[in-house]
Amino acid sequence: MSGTLLDAALAGGTRTIVVVGTAKNVGKTVTFNALRAQALRRGIVGAITSIGRDGEASDALDGSHKPGVRVQPGTIIALPRELVPRSPALHILDRGESSALGPMIFARARFAADCEIGGPPTARGVRATIDRLRELTSEPTFVDGAIDRIAPLAGGDDAIVLATGAASAGSVAAIAELARSTIARLRLPGRDPGRERAPAIVVTGALDARDAQELLATRPAATVVVADPTRIAVRGRLFDALAAAFDLRCERPLRVVACTTSSAGAGRALDPRALVHAVAAATQLPTFDVVAGISA
Amino acid sequence: MRCDPRTADRIGANWLRTALAPAGDFGRRAEDTARPFGPEDGAAAQARCAQILELAKKLDRDGAAHVRSALRRAPDPVEIVSRAHAGDALDDVDFFEIGRFADALEATARAWDAAGGPALGRPPLAREISTLLARGREAGTFYLADSFAAGLAAERSAYAAAAAEVVRERARLAGAVALPLASAPDGEEFIVMRDVLPTLPPAVRVVRETPAYRVLALELDGAALAAAARRDAALTRVARAEELVRRELAAGVADQGPTLLAAAAALGELDRTLARVAFTQQWGGCVPTFTAGSFAFSAASFVPLRAALSDAGLPYTPISIDLHGVAVLTGPNMGGKSAALATCGFLAACLANGVPPPAERAALPLVGSVAWIGGEDAADRVRLLSAFGGEVVRAREALANAVEPALLLVDEFARTTGPREGRALLVALVEALARRGSFALVATHFDGVARDAGVDHLAIAGLGRRSLDAHAARDIHAALDAVAKAMDYRIVAVDGESAAQSDALALAGLLGLDDAIVERAAELFAGCPAGPFAHAAEDA
Repeated sequence: MSGTLLDAALAGGTRTIVVVGTAKNVGKTVTFNALRAQALRRGIVGAITSIGRDGEASDALDGSHKPGVRVQPGTIIALPRELVPRSPALHILDRGESSALGPMIFARARFAADCEIGGPPTARGVRATIDRLRELTSEPTFVDGAIDRIAPLAGGDDAIVLATGAASAGSVAAIAELARSTIARLRLPGRDPGRERAPAIVVTGALDARDAQELLATRPAATVVVADPTRIAVRGRLFDALAAAFDLRCERPLRVVACTTSSAGAGRALDPRALVHAVAAATQLPTFDVVAGISA
Repeated sequence: MRCDPRTADRIGANWLRTALAPAGDFGRRAEDTARPFGPEDGAAAQARCAQILELAKKLDRDGAAHVRSALRRAPDPVEIVSRAHAGDALDDVDFFEIGRFADALEATARAWDAAGGPALGRPPLAREISTLLARGREAGTFYLADSFAAGLAAERSAYAAAAAEVVRERARLAGAVALPLASAPDGEEFIVMRDVLPTLPPAVRVVRETPAYRVLALELDGAALAAAARRDAALTRVARAEELVRRELAAGVADQGPTLLAAAAALGELDRTLARVAFTQQWGGCVPTFTAGSFAFSAASFVPLRAALSDAGLPYTPISIDLHGVAVLTGPNMGGKSAALATCGFLAACLANGVPPPAERAALPLVGSVAWIGGEDAADRVRLLSAFGGEVVRAREALANAVEPALLLVDEFARTTGPREGRALLVALVEALARRGSFALVATHFDGVARDAGVDHLAIAGLGRRSLDAHAARDIHAALDAVAKAMDYRIVAVDGESAAQSDALALAGLLGLDDAIVERAAELFAGCPAGPFAHAAEDA
C-alpha cells in the first residue's frame, strides 16, 4: 500500500474524516493525531472536534494513559465551553449545540496549545457541529468519533476510518474477523432500484435479532432496506447469515475508507505486520499501523 | 386571577399562556415573575391594553416578528454579570457572550425602528460595554487581543518563539531517528521492528518491547528539555498577562452590571409586550372599560376555538353577552353554550394577562377568580366519585375558594342525576350565586331555572325556524356542516317565561338516529306542550 492514511482518507474528495474504534484503547486518538500530523506536514491545520470527550491525560473509565491533543496556530476547534483553555487564549468564534460540559464553542487557536476536546452527545448535535466547522474553514475537519454515534454521517461525504487493535480481541485472526464483520455492516451499500428483488422490505427503526430471525424464516432472498448501516443491530454470525440470505441495502450509506491497527492493548502485544495484513485482507480496505509506519 | 387547572383548560387559559410565550430567555423569565392583574389593578390593566393596541396598530407585523427573532437570539448576561459583581474571574467565552448581548441590543433596536416602533419604547443600548470590548471584537467574535494591554504582545511573541524552539528541538531529535527509520514518526511513540532496526537508534527511549519490535519515544536531551522549560515559563507569563486583562474587563463588566441588567429586564418586558402585540395583531382586541356591575362584551371570540375552526377552514361566529350578576343560558345542543361560558372565562384570562380582550367592545371587571363547575373529570374516577359526585365536590370547592369579584361558569350542573332533584339543586345554586354577588353564567337544559331563581335568562338563538335537511347529510361531516350552517349562535335575552329549546329531535335525526325513534319521540313531545320537564319543574 503506497500513500499515507491521510491520502486514503481524502481520496474521495471529502472534507471530514471521522475516526471510530471497534473498542476502547485501539488507538483511535493515536490515529486521529497521526492524521493531523500528516496534514500538518502539508501545511494543513484543519478543524477538530470530538464525539464525546477526548484529549484528557488518562482514560475517564480505566485510568490508562491517553494521548493528548495539541493544536497548532490556525486550527479551528469545536469543544464544550468547560474545556476551553484559558491560556493561551483562543479566538472565540461562535457557540453551538449543548453538551454535558456546556454549549459547544467554536474557536481558532492563535498559538500552539494542549487541550482536551469533547463534543455533543446527540446525533443532531454532532451533525450541526461538523457542518458549522465546515463553514468556518475550507480545510479538512478531523473528528475523534464514536462508532455508536455515526448515524448523522450517513448519506454524507464524510470519510470514516475504523481503528481496531489488540484491545478488541485476543488474536490477530479474531481482530481481523471483528474488523471484517464491522466493516461489512458499516459498508452496507445504498439502494439500487434497478437491481432490487421486488418488493423490497423496508425496515423502519432498528433491524434487531427478532426481525432477523423472522426474515430468515419467511422472506429469504428479498431486498431488505434499512435507513442507514447503524440501524443493523445484529452482529456476528447472525449478521453474516442475513447478509448471505438477503440483498441488504440502506437508504443512506456510510463511507468507510480505511482501517488502522494497534498491535498493543489490554496487556497483549501482537505482531504489527501480521495484524495490518490480516485486517487489510479481511476488510479489503487500505490498512495502516501509524505507530509502526506499516501499511497494507 | 385564581383559576384551578381544570378551569384553566376549559376557558383556554393554558392555550393563551402558550400563545403568549415570549421568544427569548429574558421574556420567559419576565413572564414567570410577572404578577397577573387583579381586581385592584383596573387602571394599570387598561393602560396596558391601550399600549398593546397602539403598538399592534403601529408596528409592521413582519417587522415585529423580526424584533422577536432578534430577542430569541439574544444571550443572557445575567449570570455573567452576577459572577463579575461577586468578583469571580470571567473567561473569554463570557466576554464573547456579553459582546453578543450588546449586539443583540443593537439588532433589536434596529428591528424596532424598522418596524415603526415609537421612540419611547425603543430597546436600550449598551454602548459602554461595546466600547469596553471593542478591541477584542470583530464580526461578532471575541479575542483577548494584544491591544488590551501593553506587554501582552511581547509575552505572546516570546511564547511563540519558545514553542517554536521546542518544535525545532524535537525535529532535531526526530531527524536523528528518522535517518535509520526512513521516515519521521507521526506521534509521540513509534514502533520499530527488530528485524528492520536491530540496534537502538540514538535519542530514543524504550517505552515497551516485545520479541518482534520495540515501542520507542524520543528521549529529550538537555537542550530539548531546556527549550521545553523555557516554553512552559513563557506560557506561564502569557497566562498571567492574560488574566490581568480579564480581571480588568471583568471589573468593567461589573461596573456596567446595572446597565446590563436593566437592559436585560427591558428586553424581557419588550418580549412579553411583543408576544401580546402579535396576539392582538392576529386576533384583534379592544381597550376594555372596567365596571363593577356588569360583565358585558360584544362580538367577542373564544380564540382557541376560532383558531381551531380557522385551521379546519370553518367559519366562527363571535358572540355578545350582557351579564349583570347571574344569568341562566339555555339553547340547543351544539349551539355553543359551553363556548359562550368559555368565552367569558377567556376574556377574563386575557385581562388578567394584560391582553386586549378579542372583542369589539368590553365592559367588565378584573375578576379575582374563575371557576368552571360541571362536567366530568378523569380524576373523579380515581376518587371513586360519580359524574354527579364530582360536580358537587367541585361546586363546593369553587364556592369556598372564590375570590370576589368571582366569575363562575356553570355548565349543565346536575344533568347526570334525577331531573327533578337536579333541577331543584341547580335553582338553589343559582339563588346562592345571586346572593353572594358573583358573576355567573349558568348553562342548562332545565326549564324555568331563571324564572324560579329570579335571574336573567339568556338563550342561544339556535335553529329557530331554520330547518335541518336530515336527508342531505350524507355523513357525520356533512351533518355537522348542516348544523353549523343552520345554527344561529347569537345570544339573546329572553323576556318572560320560555321553555328551554334544545332542538334535540331535529339534531338527533340529522345525526342519523333511526327515523322511527325520532318520529316516535316527536309524537311524545307533541303531546307534552310545555315539554317533559315541565312536570319536574312543577314537582320541584
